[in-house]
Amino acid sequence: MEKKEFEPKIIAFVCNWCTYAGADLTGTSRMKYASNVRVVRFPCTGRIDFMLLLKAFAEGADGIIVSGCHPNDCHYTAGNFHARRRWMVLRGLMDFLGIDIRRIRFSWVSAGEGAKWAQLVNEHVETVRELGPYENYKKAAEYLKEGMYNG
Amino acid sequence: MSKIGVFVCHCGENIGGTVDCEKVAQEAAKIPGVEVSTDYKYMCSDPGQTIIKNAIKEKGLDGVVVAACSPRMHESTFRAACAEACLNPYMCEIANIREHCSWVHEKGEATTQKALDLVRMQVEKVKKDLPLSTIKVPVTKKALVIGGGIAGIQAALDIANAGHKVILVEKEPSIGGHMAQLSETFPTLDCSQCILTPRMVEVAQHPNITLYTYAEVEGLEGFIGNFTARIRLKARSVDLEKCTGCGMCTTKCPTKKVPSEFNALMGLRTAIYVPSPQSVPNKPTIDKEHCVYYKTGKCKLCEKVCPTGAITFDAPDEIITEEVGAVVVCTGFDVAPTSEFSEYGYGRYKDVITGLQFERLASASGPTMGEIRRPSDGTVPKKIVFIACAGSRDAAKGRPYCSKICCMYTAKHAMLYQHKVHDGESYVFYMDIRAGGKNYDEFVRRAIEEDGVNYIRGRVARVYERDGKLIVKGVDTLLGGEQVEIEADMVVLATAGVANKGAEDLAQKLHISYDKYNFFAEAHPKLKPVETNTAGIFLAGACQSPKDIPDTVAAASGAAVKVAALFSKDQLLREPVVAVVNRMPPPVFSTCVGCSLCVDICPYSAITMENIKDRAGNVIKTVASINPGLCQGCGTCVAFCRSKSIDLQGFSNEEMYSSVMAALHE
Amino acid sequence: MDKLKAKLIELFQSGEITLAIGYKQGTRGPRPFFCRSASDVEQMIFSNDYQPNLAVYLTKKEVVKDEKVAIVCTISALRSIAYLARENQIGQSQYKIIHLSPNDELMIFRSPWDIDPYIEEIPSTPSEDDRRVIEMLDAMTSEERWAWWAAQFSKCIKCYACRAACPMCYCTRCIVDNNRPQWIDPWASPLSNMEWQINRVMHLAGRCVGCGACGAACPEGIPVHLLNRKILDNIEENFGITAGLAPREGAVLNTFKPDDKENFIK
Repeated sequence: MEKKEFEPKIIAFVCNWCTYAGADLTGTSRMKYASNVRVVRFPCTGRIDFMLLLKAFAEGADGIIVSGCHPNDCHYTAGNFHARRRWMVLRGLMDFLGIDIRRIRFSWVSAGEGAKWAQLVNEHVETVRELGPYENYKKAAEYLKEGMYNG
Repeated sequence: MSKIGVFVCHCGENIGGTVDCEKVAQEAAKIPGVEVSTDYKYMCSDPGQTIIKNAIKEKGLDGVVVAACSPRMHESTFRAACAEACLNPYMCEIANIREHCSWVHEKGEATTQKALDLVRMQVEKVKKDLPLSTIKVPVTKKALVIGGGIAGIQAALDIANAGHKVILVEKEPSIGGHMAQLSETFPTLDCSQCILTPRMVEVAQHPNITLYTYAEVEGLEGFIGNFTARIRLKARSVDLEKCTGCGMCTTKCPTKKVPSEFNALMGLRTAIYVPSPQSVPNKPTIDKEHCVYYKTGKCKLCEKVCPTGAITFDAPDEIITEEVGAVVVCTGFDVAPTSEFSEYGYGRYKDVITGLQFERLASASGPTMGEIRRPSDGTVPKKIVFIACAGSRDAAKGRPYCSKICCMYTAKHAMLYQHKVHDGESYVFYMDIRAGGKNYDEFVRRAIEEDGVNYIRGRVARVYERDGKLIVKGVDTLLGGEQVEIEADMVVLATAGVANKGAEDLAQKLHISYDKYNFFAEAHPKLKPVETNTAGIFLAGACQSPKDIPDTVAAASGAAVKVAALFSKDQLLREPVVAVVNRMPPPVFSTCVGCSLCVDICPYSAITMENIKDRAGNVIKTVASINPGLCQGCGTCVAFCRSKSIDLQGFSNEEMYSSVMAALHE
Repeated sequence: MDKLKAKLIELFQSGEITLAIGYKQGTRGPRPFFCRSASDVEQMIFSNDYQPNLAVYLTKKEVVKDEKVAIVCTISALRSIAYLARENQIGQSQYKIIHLSPNDELMIFRSPWDIDPYIEEIPSTPSEDDRRVIEMLDAMTSEERWAWWAAQFSKCIKCYACRAACPMCYCTRCIVDNNRPQWIDPWASPLSNMEWQINRVMHLAGRCVGCGACGAACPEGIPVHLLNRKILDNIEENFGITAGLAPREGAVLNTFKPDDKENFIK
């Protein structure tokens, strides 16, 4: 019963040219999807700083979506290729630290894939709903507030 | 404290039907720094924009958030409205509560809450926004066209006719390129020379075009509107000013047996030579590799016979620099090295030739005056085999791509052969016939149906010689893989089109990208086919991928229009969304440590290392520097920079950080 | 060792160097030794498994300023020097790079660029103990790993010894010194400690030589070098780039291949 009340907070980091436009298309096609997602628009996936993902978790996000142009479709030719490597390395590191990488969904959604965007959001909301609130990370984040350190 | 105005648009029922806009405006008013927050039926309408403009003036707003449709729709509208009210347009942000909210969620509390969150994200972003101004780049209205084939000729003429100066650089002694070597052209069978040579002459005589033949671009520095090109004028040992092109030197030259490049090595030329009778300029060049004087130090016969004293032995190459605003790269293509085709006997059997060689045989200006004759014994071949896809669509030869032009020119070759040798038999081995194009398929059908060319679908395994005949062994896949053996007198290989030798080198000099086959890469395969990733450098023709003449000419004119558009204004205006490496007062200068790793990450080669020097000229520090003329604002370097010394205007670290934080704060 | 000492004495006497950076015996093992005269060379000790990584001093202006420097390098330090040269942090023939190979051969590299052919032959491998801990962690569930690291990071006092010990952490302004925005809280808390480590390791991805100096320097004994080692393994597995060799075509994260793996992108 408790699980049902949990509405995960999802932050989506998307590029302007493909996924943001794809999500716009979802809108113009009036396809419905879960309202848990908040989209942050970047010019390119290459611009997405991995620190922002960490900060989102620290600030209370339960799940993250990162999406950009399909390979070879990047508006800037190579930003998504660089981003892909960065994520590959980051994912490995996060997993090794015990950060729940199931909570981060990486995808490519083009400007024409409005339906894919809706599906992506719905799927990830459900995945994270299953996983529950990201208490571990929040606890670490709230360490200070618990009075263990009073510097 | 910020003074931010929030303007929530109902978009009629589009937003208002799902989102409680009034509530969003009320709640947004409570966000610290929000001075005014209001909602209106249609924000983008004239009265809507007036609400925003008045609020800016009356309340002295320093930031505006419009909660409405996608920024991809009306960001520019609202930014312009802000600018009219004297607020820096980049201090205006859009919260997308239509496409990303009202249209995709059901009416209810959660949807309204999301709309408010989206507003809050933009309010926090606006707080960190900095006023930006459009980047103005001066433009040198002179274009550099590299390559004088049909692409370069067309581009140069189009730009010149638009009223701009053009520098055309050709590495060979004459312009004309491959098209000048062709006999007839598909699908109309009009003579290549007849349609090309008038254009060549026009280039030479055009007051806006400066032509440098036997010259190569050595380097290109700068950025859009402001390039500096270094051009090497190779010493041709003939003073073009003095030479009248009388031809005395070429008739007297003792070295007469140099294979002619123009004739695809089928005919001979002298050491001092004009590539073809239609050359532009129609003046000779000394080929130092074969000239007796350059080899032995004695001869100078040409100097003796020259009536105007135009021969200038031992003159050095000259390097000139030219300031240009745009570059069109039209360096064309080459045909695959025939050494690859040992299975077809190329190089071993004189009568196995390439398509380009067949063009010369069929050309009225060629070594046989247009008669199809065997290179080995000069007889007319009675049976001829054309092998399509020689080296194309062949992953084993590292070339899985289609060379595009071969299907058509093979049909043309077979047709020309049938027209010239009436009792001859011609066979074409092909994989597929790719005849997409205006009147193209009809042309191939004509070859088959009217001229009786025998098309055999299948590959040739081997060509070998037996009793003076070339035995072509292949299969006919339409007959269930039946073995076919043809006793031919001549075999013509439709060799693959490949990137020019040195294409990679040139791409690096120009800082443009190229693909794995060394063809130059367009900025976008669909929407920016003549642009490169480097702003101000354009592409046309077969240097990009194998192209036929109509496509090449279309691309050249397309590139020329891009150049003309660039030259239509004295200054180029660019969005200020560019990356900037921080600068600060001495002794720090910048937090950049100069690791230079960002130089490689930039897709536009916009980043260079800059030496900060003291007054005596000693280098104090080396830091990265981003050319705003080249940067396109992707921000890949920003996320990569470890010390956060690079930031992206309009999407800065602070702006993005604040948005993310705001998305999660209630 | 005698060859090394003889060479250093010769260099001091000929005036070719004024400072030799090497190791001498300290209270708890080898420690950095800034040797300034031929007579002090006698105190020099060397082994290829010594810590710290002395290459860290080459980017410290206050150490090398105006000195003619010879540096006695472990294999790890050689690797670091090769990377530093690629990243324009040290000059072509600024330092005398001296090395005693595991089979006791004295080597002097004229330029950092000459190091590559030598180190190419020697893979950078973790110690047996490190390998065991990594395997232990890999075998854990995600939650167990989180708990393990959280316990480790709760010990961290944010002294940045790991940063100070790393030759590749030469930025003059580190991300933790940046407060616009304040990416990482400056105080020591498990989260900010972990965020710092993630940043440190990500910033070293494709640049780390796997020397382990960071872990060795930690006063709290947190094995932070294991994070770097894990990334080295990942990079080798995913991009085929061998640990500890400065790749000629750029670092790992500033280059790409169009056909890089993307099995995690759905």
